[in-house]
Amino acid sequence: MSTAPARVDARAKVTGALRYGADRAPESVAYAAFAVATIARGRITGVDTEAALNLPGVRLVITRFDPDELTSPGFIMTGGYGFQSLQPLLDDRIAYRGQPIALVVADTPLAATEAAELITAAYEPEPAAFTLDAPGAETLVQAQAIPIPMFADTAVGDADAAFAAAPVQVDVEVSGPNQHQVPMELIGGVVEWHGDTLVVHEGTQNSGAVQNGLARQLGISPDRVQVISPSVGGGFGQKNSLQPHIGPLAIAARRLGRPVKLVLTRPQTFHQASFRPASRQRVRLGADSSGRLVAAIHEIDQQTSRHDLFPAMYTEVSSRFYGIGAFRGLQRLVRTDVQTPGYMRAPFEHIAAYAMESAVDEIAYATGRDPVELRLANDTAVDPVSGLPFSSRHVAECLRRGAERFGWAERSPRPRSMRGPDGTLIGWGVAIGAYPGSAAAAIARMSAHDTGTVEVAVAGHEMGQGIRTAIARLVADDLGIEIAAVKVGVGDTRSAPQHLTAGSWGTATALPAVHAALRDRLGVPRTGPVDMRAAVAATGGSRIEIEATSVARGQPADVVVDRLRKGLLAIAGPEYPEFVTFSHIAHFVEVRIEAATGRVRVPRVVSVADCGRVASPVTAASQVRGGVIWGIGATLREQSLVDPRYGGFLNPTMEEYPIPVSADVHRIDVDFIDEPDLLLNPVGVKGLGEVCMVGVSAAIGNALFHATGARFRRLPVRIEDVLPHL
Amino acid sequence: MTAFEVNGRKVDLEVDPRESLLAVLQDRLHLYGTKKGCDHGQCGACTVHLDGRRVVSCLTLASQVEGREVRTIEGVAGEDGTLHPLQRAFIDNDAMQCGYCTPGQIMSGLACIAEGHTGDDDEIREYMSGNLCRCGAYVGIVAAIRQVAGPAEA
Repeated sequence: MSTAPARVDARAKVTGALRYGADRAPESVAYAAFAVATIARGRITGVDTEAALNLPGVRLVITRFDPDELTSPGFIMTGGYGFQSLQPLLDDRIAYRGQPIALVVADTPLAATEAAELITAAYEPEPAAFTLDAPGAETLVQAQAIPIPMFADTAVGDADAAFAAAPVQVDVEVSGPNQHQVPMELIGGVVEWHGDTLVVHEGTQNSGAVQNGLARQLGISPDRVQVISPSVGGGFGQKNSLQPHIGPLAIAARRLGRPVKLVLTRPQTFHQASFRPASRQRVRLGADSSGRLVAAIHEIDQQTSRHDLFPAMYTEVSSRFYGIGAFRGLQRLVRTDVQTPGYMRAPFEHIAAYAMESAVDEIAYATGRDPVELRLANDTAVDPVSGLPFSSRHVAECLRRGAERFGWAERSPRPRSMRGPDGTLIGWGVAIGAYPGSAAAAIARMSAHDTGTVEVAVAGHEMGQGIRTAIARLVADDLGIEIAAVKVGVGDTRSAPQHLTAGSWGTATALPAVHAALRDRLGVPRTGPVDMRAAVAATGGSRIEIEATSVARGQPADVVVDRLRKGLLAIAGPEYPEFVTFSHIAHFVEVRIEAATGRVRVPRVVSVADCGRVASPVTAASQVRGGVIWGIGATLREQSLVDPRYGGFLNPTMEEYPIPVSADVHRIDVDFIDEPDLLLNPVGVKGLGEVCMVGVSAAIGNALFHATGARFRRLPVRIEDVLPHL
Repeated sequence: MTAFEVNGRKVDLEVDPRESLLAVLQDRLHLYGTKKGCDHGQCGACTVHLDGRRVVSCLTLASQVEGREVRTIEGVAGEDGTLHPLQRAFIDNDAMQCGYCTPGQIMSGLACIAEGHTGDDDEIREYMSGNLCRCGAYVGIVAAIRQVAGPAEA
């Protein structure tokens, strides 16, 4: 067992004391529920609310808000705050199945639920499209539809000519399913007015966007909105922006003069929030006869909604996996009649890696090279896209160390050549992953007390990744004080401006500056342990307060800090003025396929990550295991099944949307390179929570090929796909 | 009125016949350690003990627990705050991330040990598979239960 300290909030978690957004019922609270659309596209011609209004305990039924009391929050990717631009209950349009058509508020949750079910509507339906190939789905070239440099197609050299001339070619098409984040904590919270101030308790990864988005929607000052989200029961991207239920709750709470609580049902979280868009990828990869990669062409169709363009960013990472001198990307968006899809853990990188790393595996087999050796031979120290160096890149060390730990040398390379005593097919596969290293602007506030404690407030949200622990450790180590003396406040707009927490790390850049300022104010040396109690007492006061702002490399400070204060995205990366930053990982996977049933098990995974300095070893290892398990689920189980007739998702429950369970998970060995990346930030940390999932699917797919001799082009790979190849 | 015991404390409440034990524990008794993840008995986050057996409180009607003993996560540690060995083992093995499923995992883990379903790690995995963890803390959860249950049978 590690000697590193456990999570600072572990005791609260094991005793059930930790409070999440909806874990409260203030005095006189009322309960809300939504009635939802049963068509996927068209117009509402009438809503019958009479039965609902007649139910005892029902206080309000709202089917339409006035434009002067509620407006769109705007789409988070175009300068707004919402997961989509469409705010339900503003007009008669239906844009997706499951869209709210009425809000009910009642004295009890039972009355609210019953009333919502009593509401019926009449519609004028219109033809709708739900899949990439459906008639009526509209395909756009992203570079033309969103003419912004960061969403442009990547192009290096003449990839088409280089591919045509390559003696070894592979051509891979992969289809990626709709999936949902399914955090354990349902979406919901409690909204109340304290005088003119709106107080929101809701699990979110972006309390700053909730604050500023609500202010925009309601036409009030952001100073009059407080969002409190210190602990989130999992987000995985689904809680990365303002959800459209909160504005309506705020208005209902004001009308009633009571706090209002809403928790969406699990099926509603599949239909009223973001999800992973369906995608189709084609990768063409060319190599010379030695396996040296010379050309890559990566083309993607990604689903979006009719009302928003959710930008695709697959080629940002696929162009950087190896030192390929000629690369061409093409990203297209396909409009369908759904709520706007969005970010789900490793949103583009996971599926891009499945396509790219499957193709690389095919090149290895086509050229007779070992898959690890081929990857090592194609590694690069320079970013092939920009020509800049990587701030750090330890792909080769991840591969070497992983191969050693896994026992890769024992692998018999021929497909179908490894079997268990009972006939079980065994496959070993490898793949790498990468994820862009972003950094955000941050404002950190620290106060030191004469009791010896230090309070830190900074942008960030604790959703299980261990940010509270990482910050507490950083402060304790840096000041030479006990970790228990550090109180960390995150996810609270009252104490510091809050930025989206999603695979980027703003805090690590802010904290060193604030430590330095604190030491100056206390008059203690710049380094070495601080006797906090004595140092504060010596100032003559009972506490010292410090604030510091930091920005990422190359960011214009005034611009990004203003964006941060407005709850807008204030991130930079992976390209900085002097370097390019990615986190990296190598996964080694064993699959076993039961001879009689075709059931695929994953008994053993070795993952070696390059995430810079490991800020919190215990929580970091847990996070990698979680990412690997996400990869297992995404490859072998998870698909949100689309109803091609009526829209919506057919399996929106935790029983029918099969996230991995304990019986699916076996040995997962995790190791870290643990080399600080001091170019990216003074603490030397790179991101980890997303990269750990990237490449898992490809490693499983490559192991399945090794076990069966077949390539599987459609995720998830199901028993019926495997059975013909036993 | 429905009378029952929660963590040794007597409770006497007027309940709606449709009201779940989970809803009563949360918003009426303010015992928020018991979590709602699905409200359909599919995720295990709301697991409590009813007369010593694990049940999902979302599928248990409050009116059904008349005269019975309910134990929630808040009743697992000692009166003085001393953690139960399984709670300690969850911390030692970092058997959690976001923590939302953790109370249900611990209530189920206690029952898994009491039921004797800890012969080997695969048996633990099988008997803990009704408790979902989206963060993927399963390796630590199995290790924590193993630590308290004692060594696997040969």
